[in-house]
Amino acid sequence: MNTFTIIKSDYLQRTRSYTFLVTLCISLAVAYTFIPEPNATYSTIRISNYVGVYNSAWIAYVTAIMASIFLSLVGFYLVNGSIKTDIQTKAGQIVASTPISNFRYLFSKVLSNFLVLLTIVLIIFSMSILLFFLYNEGFTFELLQFIKPYFFITIPAMFFIATLAVIFEVFFGKYSVIQNVGFFFLFFTLMVLPATTETQFLLDVFGSEIITHQMENQVKEILQSNESIGLNIGYVIGNEKEIKRFNFEGVNFPTSFLLSRIGWILLCIISIVIISPFFHRFNVKEKMSSKKSTQNVSISKTNNEVVLSALPKAQINYGIFSLLKTELLLLFRKGKKWLWIINLIGMGLLVVLPLEIADQIVLPVLWFLQVNRLSELTTKEVTNNVHYFAFTSYKPLSRLLVSQVLAGIILMLFLVFPLLIRLLFIANFTAVFSVVSGGVFITLLASTLGIVTKGKKLFEVLFFMIAYANINGAKLLDYFGGLTHNANYILKLTGFILLLIIITFLKRKIDLKKN
Amino acid sequence: MKLEIQNVSKRYNKNKYGLKDFSITIEKGILGLLGPNGAGKSTLLKMIATVSKPTDGIILLNKNNIVKDANYMRKQLGFLPQDFGVYPNLNAFEFLEYMAAMKGVGGKNLKPRITQLLEGLNLIEAANKPIGSYSGGMKQRIGIAQALLNNPKIIIFDEPTVGLDPEERVRFRNLISDLASDCIVILSSHIVSDIDTIADEVAIMKNGSLITKGDPENIVKKVEGKVFETTIEKEKLSTFKSGHIVISTKRKQGKLQVRYISKNPIEDSILQEANLEDAYLYLTKTN
Repeated sequence: MNTFTIIKSDYLQRTRSYTFLVTLCISLAVAYTFIPEPNATYSTIRISNYVGVYNSAWIAYVTAIMASIFLSLVGFYLVNGSIKTDIQTKAGQIVASTPISNFRYLFSKVLSNFLVLLTIVLIIFSMSILLFFLYNEGFTFELLQFIKPYFFITIPAMFFIATLAVIFEVFFGKYSVIQNVGFFFLFFTLMVLPATTETQFLLDVFGSEIITHQMENQVKEILQSNESIGLNIGYVIGNEKEIKRFNFEGVNFPTSFLLSRIGWILLCIISIVIISPFFHRFNVKEKMSSKKSTQNVSISKTNNEVVLSALPKAQINYGIFSLLKTELLLLFRKGKKWLWIINLIGMGLLVVLPLEIADQIVLPVLWFLQVNRLSELTTKEVTNNVHYFAFTSYKPLSRLLVSQVLAGIILMLFLVFPLLIRLLFIANFTAVFSVVSGGVFITLLASTLGIVTKGKKLFEVLFFMIAYANINGAKLLDYFGGLTHNANYILKLTGFILLLIIITFLKRKIDLKKN
Repeated sequence: MKLEIQNVSKRYNKNKYGLKDFSITIEKGILGLLGPNGAGKSTLLKMIATVSKPTDGIILLNKNNIVKDANYMRKQLGFLPQDFGVYPNLNAFEFLEYMAAMKGVGGKNLKPRITQLLEGLNLIEAANKPIGSYSGGMKQRIGIAQALLNNPKIIIFDEPTVGLDPEERVRFRNLISDLASDCIVILSSHIVSDIDTIADEVAIMKNGSLITKGDPENIVKKVEGKVFETTIEKEKLSTFKSGHIVISTKRKQGKLQVRYISKNPIEDSILQEANLEDAYLYLTKTN
């Protein structure tokens, strides 16, 4: 089997899924929002109070930057897990017995990750062209202006993410929580590294700094100011009336910058060469068997037999307490034990840190650390192949699903219990209500997305984005009331919770009927 | 206890059926379900177990339509699917308690019932270990235990002996015989000998339809006088196969000893006593 065939098969296997279709639809919708319509109440890239006129360059560069940053942010979660899939499907054992080298296998995984991300980039790129014609402001369509930023900014960034996903899987394959949380912090670090000089631009893997720097300089020229001016990337709400327009004509990338992109790609390839000897090559079970907890159990033979008539009669009990108890047990036991030490530290920080930091920073991080627990809340039956039992249980909707959602909420609220107590002490009942609503909301979001997409990826990606936005103080995604809101916001959140409840139960009901 | 499956079909698309206009009535005792891969055995069992719904037709349990009222079946069902999983972080006790809760079973008798089931299935020593560390056979026995948690009146075992060693298979057969005294037991298997010895009735399926149903002796009668054994040259096997249904071949002194079914046996053939496997192969190849 040549490398091309491996990449093609892997790519097809991953893209021919319902989840990927949902991902593409969401990408299309998100790409539409990258360029706000003329009367929109938000902006995506804004320098001071300036945004560009909607010419080819502005639309292309803005969408390319947004794709580079946001797709890097969520792309990792979309593509990681491809080696894990080979372990789960046992295809890995066949791969291991073929002459394929570790490097070829891992590199083919990088390329198929890259192709998956490239498909989404292509969707965003197509949408950017569509938006140019949709918001037609009378400028000439310049295809080269569209291609340039995607080629030099977005594509290398996607290759980096595709490689990073494989590297994380090789080293932390068994610890998906380390992959998820580790990438979260790595991304955060990469984003906050300052880049204002040409050398720093070369080190900016997402490639956006060189463009935003030029945009800033242009606005400084208009304002005739040398002082630092505010640059906002992301969804900035409000102030639409103050916005002024300027003419952005793209960036002439210096040769050193273009070479740095090639350098990043080469670095990625070299990284794969370096990590290849560390790849387990699907010899996973033997590695696991060295651990006491996963040792295969052996038992001595006895001559006992089941005599049904002698068994104590089972009694009817339609309550959900036992289900809830086990659901909680499953949530608590999910992942490594030492992660609970981090949870306990987080709970401790909720006690000792100033209330504002505890609420705005510690709470979203602590909840995000539970991403793997929550994402499996309503998908674990299928992933563990227990769905035949679960879906034929007595009243699976009103008993099993309710207990799953309740268990998730209990876990979320248990983790922020110290904060709730503090808020109660100062009689801040609105904040208590907001935090409780937040716990309910995020649990229901996990349940709904799990049931709708039949997978956990979308929730993981969204939760990551939301947590990132929370730490950056984005008001729009502050679902737990860390920032100040009016009553209208809380009312909207409550409405959203009700909507999620309806979707969760209706979709599961349809699924149960549809089989 | 009476389970009636009336004109049930499962259609996947316009021309593809998993089961087509299938009818069968099952009463107390053991029904063995035989059929080649893709015959529709698992599709039928999943519909009886309320995992999936028929596209057409009805399934009645004691005159109650379980397609509409699935919970009527679920309250008295014990189901062991062909391909099931477990939660690896739970131990056997916890997993079975969870399964019991799903079935709506509890009370003070639950723990002793689970303990006795685990003892009877030779799992008690490992009962406090995570199921993720169990062997395939042990997991299969956990599956059997969960099917028996709620005094089931209808028990469905889909390929239950997969992963069991010969000794465990014998014990499992004994268990099923015990169950059959006051339940409906439906047992599907590829291994004819598993069904041969214990089934009160056998149903043979092919391409989503029922070929025959009856007690094993009557089914075997369909091939009585047609099963022969002879010895042929190795090179002649493919020609021989085109004219007869070959049951098995065995190498013997450079030649092949062939057991086959035919209405017109070749010369020097010796008539053999027919068994259920012969009848199964004959019926699935000629229908």
